[in-house]
Amino acid sequence: MKAILEIRGIALIRLQNIHKEYNGKPALIDVNLHIGLGEFAFLVGPSGAGKSTLMRLLYREESPTRGTVTIGGVNITRLSRSQVPLLRRRLGIVFQDFKLLPRQTVFDNVAYVLRALGVDEIDVRRRVSSALAIVSLEDKDNEFPENLSGGEQQRVGIARAIVNGPPVLLADEPTGNLDPQTSLEIVQLLDRISQRGTTVLISTHDQPIVDAMRKRVISLKNGQVISDVNSGIYEMEALR
Amino acid sequence: MRNIRIFLRVLRETTIGLKRSGWSNWLVISILAVALTIFGGVLQTTMAIKGVVSSWGSQLEISAYLKDGFDPQKVARNVSQLPDVQLVEIVPKEVAWAEMQTNYKVAALNNPLPNTLHIKLANVQAVEKTADKLKTFSSIEHIRFPLKVARNLNKVRQFLEIAGFVITGALSAATLVVIGNTIHLVIQSRQREIEILSLTGVSPWYIKGPLILQGASYGMGAALIASAFLFGLHAYMDPYIHEQLLSFLPMNSTGLDAGLLPTLVVVLTLGVAVGAGGSAWTSGRFIKI
Repeated sequence: MKAILEIRGIALIRLQNIHKEYNGKPALIDVNLHIGLGEFAFLVGPSGAGKSTLMRLLYREESPTRGTVTIGGVNITRLSRSQVPLLRRRLGIVFQDFKLLPRQTVFDNVAYVLRALGVDEIDVRRRVSSALAIVSLEDKDNEFPENLSGGEQQRVGIARAIVNGPPVLLADEPTGNLDPQTSLEIVQLLDRISQRGTTVLISTHDQPIVDAMRKRVISLKNGQVISDVNSGIYEMEALR
Repeated sequence: MRNIRIFLRVLRETTIGLKRSGWSNWLVISILAVALTIFGGVLQTTMAIKGVVSSWGSQLEISAYLKDGFDPQKVARNVSQLPDVQLVEIVPKEVAWAEMQTNYKVAALNNPLPNTLHIKLANVQAVEKTADKLKTFSSIEHIRFPLKVARNLNKVRQFLEIAGFVITGALSAATLVVIGNTIHLVIQSRQREIEILSLTGVSPWYIKGPLILQGASYGMGAALIASAFLFGLHAYMDPYIHEQLLSFLPMNSTGLDAGLLPTLVVVLTLGVAVGAGGSAWTSGRFIKI
């Protein structure tokens, strides 16, 4: 683990001795992780392994029972309720079910949060156009989500996640509702975003995608990290 | 500038919320308007009756008949020191006797009347208490006061206060439930937006603000309807009450209008407060950020 940290330089995300319990039942046990700036990593494991719990700890939807989570040097477990929105503005989150607003156009879906944060309209247009260009949807800005394919809807979700320029992008099962070819395209898009300097952490149990990408793979089983491998694959046998 | 833009967005979201709620807006406003009208009616009636009773109260006076040999000026000074005593009028026995002779053509006798004090009090409640104190004065032979009227007026006033309090409490609770349910429906219909906003770091006030403003709009709309109705009712009923009811009473009745303006102010304030408060409570309960 120390070797990985040294190779990857500064740890942007750091989990130390994380324990999480629900009604006395452990969901995460002594998890220690360091994810570097601009790194791309998969978080894999079967259902109930603790992937979603770990993701929720990162965007402070949950707090650990013990241990500390640090992002960019800030111990987020100690943030007050009023500070949590400030943390979340520095994170981009991509959801399995896209979470798009059906009555708003692609442009308005991506612009929604910027407008809520009081960004001026000229800046909104500039940033949304740029985000849509990154996900190759600049020509679909006036479409409504129902007129888009699943892959396109997920790309809108990614554009919304990156529009505020977050240093960290968290994607919780982003390919869960997509066919294999579209899934690969989405993960390759996330990889390209990572190469622009954003730290990307994807939770998934999509073995072909993980194997095809050959990136860092953190495997969780029964709430514990059982392997953390650079250029890894989804080790199905070990996770059974 | 950013805050102004956020505020304008909150207003816009409020308008969208109201548009989306459609007919249920009118349902909530109607129920709330009925509740506020009943509340305002009770409040206005209570205040008007209290005003009238108060005007009667100032006309209720105690007559104290003095024993011979006591200086009425001195006794009047002592009586005026008592709490709630507003005015003490001395009627010397010579004056009373002269008036009686003028009015009733009585026979030429020695003056049998005592010196008298007419004592006016600040309020109805003080009549019995002051009468009890006057009875302890050695200079006073006898007192007279309208005991039954004083007691009944006190009972009416107390009943109206309690009834007003109970009705206000019950209607406020009912309207809070109605507003809470409506805002809960709005929250459910906006669940996805709220979740997105929450997970992307938008301030909780941006998320809850439109719902609170929506509730306040319901309150304001309902209060305006209730106020218009109460104002119209007052304008229609006022001459009838003055001419047909109060004119038959033995006492001069003023203060009927005392309750109108305060009632309208209270109805407007309560409407907005209940609307916004109900929404804020529901938002806090169902939106976890």
